Parts: sequence; structure tokens; C-alpha cells
Amino acid sequence: MAKAELKTKQKTEVEVEDSSSLKGTLASVFFLGAFIIVTWVSVYYLFVDRF
Amino acid sequence: MHIHKFEKIWLIFGVSCLVIFLSVVGVSAFYLGNKPPSCLTTINPEKVDQTKPFNKPGLNKVEGKEWDYELVFVASAFSYNPAQVEVPLGAKVKVIATTKDVIHGFEVAGTNINMMLEPGYVSEYTTTFDKAGEYLIVCNEYCGAGHHLMSSKIEVVK
Repeated sequence: MAKAELKTKQKTEVEVEDSSSLKGTLASVFFLGAFIIVTWVSVYYLFVDRF
Repeated sequence: MHIHKFEKIWLIFGVSCLVIFLSVVGVSAFYLGNKPPSCLTTINPEKVDQTKPFNKPGLNKVEGKEWDYELVFVASAFSYNPAQVEVPLGAKVKVIATTKDVIHGFEVAGTNINMMLEPGYVSEYTTTFDKAGEYLIVCNEYCGAGHHLMSSKIEVVK
């Protein structure tokens, strides 16, 4: 007879990232930094290109 | 004191960006000699027409200076003198301008020439006109009822 699989012990390991991780913060800081650099450099080249 | 590794990374990144941006400004000011257009050269606003070089507005060839021409503009409500001027392509020109009455703007659209003309002060900008074409000069400081009619034109020709 088939056993109803009730109380079988199965470990489910969900990887929870450490809540003090700064990966997302690092990504957003560099995203903002890249935006600032791109806008600064493009305005600088506009200035250099014009007389 | 413990600083997270990522914090060190973005602190170094931020500080070095700041240093690079400020060095560019510093080199521009102290090595290339760029300065604001109005650099404390004064003039009596009531005697503009009798004061050199404003007694002869327009493009004047000069000798023995770092630039080939002086382009003199006098602004007053609501016009520029000259109303139109031709500049040869590739000429190094010092644009010198002032106002006889109120504060006017002097913006040559599409170029870096953009000055504020204040009564009593002379504004100047030295540049090489290296692109041919017609350039509109507009007043970008509200100067009164005819502000929107105030314009002039520079033609850079071969």
C-alpha cells in the first residue's frame, strides 16, 4: 500500500542574503556615479567643441 | 574603526571623481587662463560712446596683440550696435561688449560666448571663430518691454 507522504523530513534550504549586505547599495552608488560622469563628460565635450 | 569593503570602494571612487573634476576647473583657470567675462574692467556708462574702443563698434583689426580682431558691441534698450557683422573664418577675435543703460545679456546662440553686460563694466571673451555660419545674438537678461526684440547677428564667412 502506498504510504501517504506526510511526515517525511525534507530540509528546504532557502538562501537568505545577509540583511547587512551592501551589494545593492554598491550597485546603486555606481549607477548614480556613472550617470554623473557621463553627463559631466558630455557637457565638457560640448563646451570644448564649440567656439 | 571598521569600514566595510564596499564603503571604501565608493568613497575612493567619489573622492577621486571630485579631485578630477576640480583639477579640470583648476587647470582651465590657472593654466589656460580662463576667467569670467566681466573681470572688473570698468567704464563710465554715460560716456560709452566717447570711450575707446566703444566709440567704434564693429569688427576692428588690431596689430601686435594675441588676437587678430576686436569685435566691439554696445548694447542699449533694445538693440545692439552693430546690428549685423561679418567675421572671417578662422579669425581669433576678442569680443568686447558693454551696456549704456540697464543689464543686458549677450548670448551668441550655439557657442560658448555668453556674457552678462552690466552698466559700468566691460565684458570680454576671446575665441577663434572656426565654424562658418550665421550666429544669432540674443539678450538673455530681461531688460524691459522690448527685450524679445533685441538681437544681432554674426556671420562667419570664408
